[in-house]
Amino acid sequence: MFHTTFYLRRLHSLVGLLVLGMVLFEHIFTNSMALGGAPALNGALAMMELIPKPVFLMLEVCGIAVPLLFHAIYGIYIALQANNNPGRFGYIRNWQFALQRWTAWFLVVFLVWHVGYLRLFTKGITGTPISYELLQSYFTGHPLYAVLYIIGMFAAIFHFSNGITTFCMTWGIAKGPRIQTVINCLSMCLCVVLCLITLVFMGSYFVM
Amino acid sequence: MANKPENKIIVVGGGLSGLMATLKICEGGGKVDLFSYCPVKRSHSLCAQGGINACMDTKGEHDSIYEHFDDTVYGGDFLADQLAVKGMVEAAPKLIKMFDRMGVPFTRTSEGVLDLRNFGGQKNKRTCFAGSTTGQQLLYALDEQVRRWEVKGGVKKYEFWEFIKIIKNKDGICRGIVAQNMNSNEIVSFPADVVILATGGPGQVYGRCTASTICNGSAVSSVYQQGAEIGNPEFLQIHPTAIPGTDKNRLMSEACRGEGGRVWVYRENPETHEKERWYFLEDMYPAYGNLVPRDVASRAIYKVVVHMGLGMHNPNRVYLDLSHIPADYLERKLGGILEMYDDFVGKDPRKVPMEIFPSIHYSMGGIWVDREHHTNIPGLMASGECDYQYHGANRLGANSLLSAAYSGTISGPESLRLARSGKLGEALTKAELEDARQECVAEFDKIRNMNGPENAHKLHHELGDIMYKYVSVERENIGLTQCMKELHEILKRWDNIGVTDHGTWANQEAMFVRQLRNMIIYAMAITKSALLRDESRGAHAKIVLDDKGERVTDEKGDLVFMPRDDARFMRTTIVTFDAEHEEPEVSYREFEHSLIKPRLRNYAVAKKE
Amino acid sequence: MAEQKKVRFVIERQDGPTEKPYTQEFDVDYRPGLNVVAALMEIQKNPVTADGKKVAPVVWECNCLEKVCGACMMVINGKARQACCSLIDNLKQPIHLAPARTFPVIRDLLIDRSVMFESLKRIQGWVEVDGTWEVKDAPIQNPYTAQTAYEISHCMTCGCCLEACPNVGPQSDFIGPAPTVQAYLFNLHPLGKFDAPKRLNALMEKGGITSCGNSQNCVEVCPKNIKLTTYLAQLNRDVNKQALRNIFDK
Repeated sequence: MFHTTFYLRRLHSLVGLLVLGMVLFEHIFTNSMALGGAPALNGALAMMELIPKPVFLMLEVCGIAVPLLFHAIYGIYIALQANNNPGRFGYIRNWQFALQRWTAWFLVVFLVWHVGYLRLFTKGITGTPISYELLQSYFTGHPLYAVLYIIGMFAAIFHFSNGITTFCMTWGIAKGPRIQTVINCLSMCLCVVLCLITLVFMGSYFVM
Repeated sequence: MANKPENKIIVVGGGLSGLMATLKICEGGGKVDLFSYCPVKRSHSLCAQGGINACMDTKGEHDSIYEHFDDTVYGGDFLADQLAVKGMVEAAPKLIKMFDRMGVPFTRTSEGVLDLRNFGGQKNKRTCFAGSTTGQQLLYALDEQVRRWEVKGGVKKYEFWEFIKIIKNKDGICRGIVAQNMNSNEIVSFPADVVILATGGPGQVYGRCTASTICNGSAVSSVYQQGAEIGNPEFLQIHPTAIPGTDKNRLMSEACRGEGGRVWVYRENPETHEKERWYFLEDMYPAYGNLVPRDVASRAIYKVVVHMGLGMHNPNRVYLDLSHIPADYLERKLGGILEMYDDFVGKDPRKVPMEIFPSIHYSMGGIWVDREHHTNIPGLMASGECDYQYHGANRLGANSLLSAAYSGTISGPESLRLARSGKLGEALTKAELEDARQECVAEFDKIRNMNGPENAHKLHHELGDIMYKYVSVERENIGLTQCMKELHEILKRWDNIGVTDHGTWANQEAMFVRQLRNMIIYAMAITKSALLRDESRGAHAKIVLDDKGERVTDEKGDLVFMPRDDARFMRTTIVTFDAEHEEPEVSYREFEHSLIKPRLRNYAVAKKE
Repeated sequence: MAEQKKVRFVIERQDGPTEKPYTQEFDVDYRPGLNVVAALMEIQKNPVTADGKKVAPVVWECNCLEKVCGACMMVINGKARQACCSLIDNLKQPIHLAPARTFPVIRDLLIDRSVMFESLKRIQGWVEVDGTWEVKDAPIQNPYTAQTAYEISHCMTCGCCLEACPNVGPQSDFIGPAPTVQAYLFNLHPLGKFDAPKRLNALMEKGGITSCGNSQNCVEVCPKNIKLTTYLAQLNRDVNKQALRNIFDK
């Protein structure tokens, strides 16, 4: 008997942490180049352009699009199974559990907008390359978008960091309450650090 | 090989005994309809805490099965059927191994074998235990095995079904029962080859006791009213250490004393006149100390608090002290119950002495059965606490789980043998089944529409008060006569009950009213047989009254109790129901006591054989 | 004499499985040590609401009143717990009682938890003994393992953890923490472990351990303080290993 549910759920966990985690880190890394101003960010973007187009497209499809779609669609199925109740049972882990699902819902909408506008429309259809100048005028021109992007990043970072904790539980790596608490603290620290980095590089568009 | 006809046995009650019988029947190839008030996993067996006795002799004490046998008979003040007891103690070690294989997490020694502890009335370590929740663990093991048989198709469970009465065929043989679904209130007749009652004790007759709210003895009383004989109902064990409460008295296991707990009160030292802790059990019974049997300990506490005026008053309490024992040892051996004391009293027994008082706990008596657990009604069997077997006039601690499990191993196979013996006459006809059902429906409808001024729960409370007042630790004939009178009044008042719930969906009130009547009638059986037994034996202690009806005291001012009277009363009390006058009729029956000669029971000195 | 102190109860009632819930309020005389079951018993003795209406007594389930049978679980002031050990002194008044709606309500506070017992069948919660007859000495067990088993074996199937778990309910097929962790109990036993692969495979099926979302409410509300999350993590570990075996051993 083949346990479809089990393998899908475990794949969901793996894809989320490893593949989409990498994507998130890549985004934070590349975007944090904005701190160095236009030359730095554009330089980093140009580096990526060095990868041959077909290879890059394949990477985008197999490394981002497919995992993301799987994680999102199966994730919706998972989120629908929860009846969030932190109001009644206000324990920290339960809040994190609920937030994991709420951030997921937000991210689904956010990513449709983000990928749809920047990758598919701007870069894909109009053929405009993404650049420091483009992003700066986009964010400073519409501060609301900047805020939404910051929230989107925060959501993704929390979803990822909390995912580390649950990954360690789901895979039976952290068994006892002490190690689970330690890992949860560490990943929440990571969450705060990544959020701060995000705030700083997003802020840099406005001050420079 | 020709297919054997399928044998259907009805087991009523899903405690240790009922489940054990069920397993045995399934293994023998029979089918079981298992009826219970509640999911069987919630049966009252799980309230047993201390352990289960079996001669495992793993503590270098040269314990023997004979010693267990003798302790049980001696502890029961020579009123137990000795052949039955012998069978039980011989089977005990095998049962323990069976439970161990089934996964009961017994507490173990450092080398991984079963640990043993001391228990009351026994000098050797003989009690196997799983922390302080042995009953829970044993019950779960059997519950799991029965679930396995449920999956295999041997058992059909009827949980949340209340047994109402048995149905006899035209030859007077029990061939079925009427039961009611407690949620839908639907009443249905069920035919069977044999019916086994394993419905537990009648503790709720006393209202506040250590029994669960489901232990009302209603089923026993019901078959008693249908002609079953009750044996020794006057012998009710009063557990010396319970936490008194207004909703129930919660048990504080004898294991506390087995693990070194001491019972004391404050007193003024008779010589130095200083206030001191008086460890009165150790003082009164130097050979057994705090580990005297329960009837003895309860009487001692009663004497110290009620007659000597020591201890705490209003409410009456004495101290049970564990605070001198290292906390980690207590945690390992007694964890569960200490937590319970903390939960319900709000004080930590690891640090302060517990406040306890005796409470009704167990009924040695019950439906009369022979050694194969047949009642006097053919086709009806009884096993577990609801029968009268094994304990005589007083039960030793940790023998109840043993007798419950063991009786199941007897009644189960025996029911199959009977079912296949061809002596059961004809099965019930459709009409007989339907008539019995209609009768119960009519009775229930009548109860549902009762409109008098009395409240059933208040009446129950009064019943408990009366029973505690007259038929508890110390009894005397004037009180017992008065008790009978008051019980008749209560029974009359039952007719004036009014219910507020007239519906037919989960009508707990109406079902309770039906149970209450059964409880009152059983209370009369207890009282009447206590009244007629003019001696003191085990849990039944009767005060001597003089001609004016005053209590007689000796030169020290202590109450004088009637002595044990083997010539007249080394007999089983048999109570039958006189339906016309709604009165119990008491007679006495000889029983098997040829193996150990009766001797005086005295726990102040080491037991002599 | 001072006036008798009263305790106000706000009880969510429901006349049948498909009826509409409504609330009624009752006043019960205060006494020290009073718990929720004892208070409900007082209401049985005098089933009159705070505004003087005579009503049917509240229906609920209880047996042992010692926190071992698991019957009296209900939602008290929003939290799933045993009513018998809920002392009035430790509760905020007025005290709100409601049935645990994760389960089908039969009437008032009485619920149908048979799904939990069905789940125990699913995880094969038993040791496959040959029979109740004597076989030979039972195997020696590591006393530390036995202690862990003892802890898990305290589970009284009360359903607190299912009521608290956000992943248990009509929206999901999760069997819940209690039955899941019971599988580990039998996997620990020297004879029970022979069937460990069967139990682990059962846990991999739909509604099994995969549905656990690590909200960890279970361990917070367990009245028996069973370290449910620890054993869930252990089972996760075991299940993953079993999955590898399923793939690579055949």
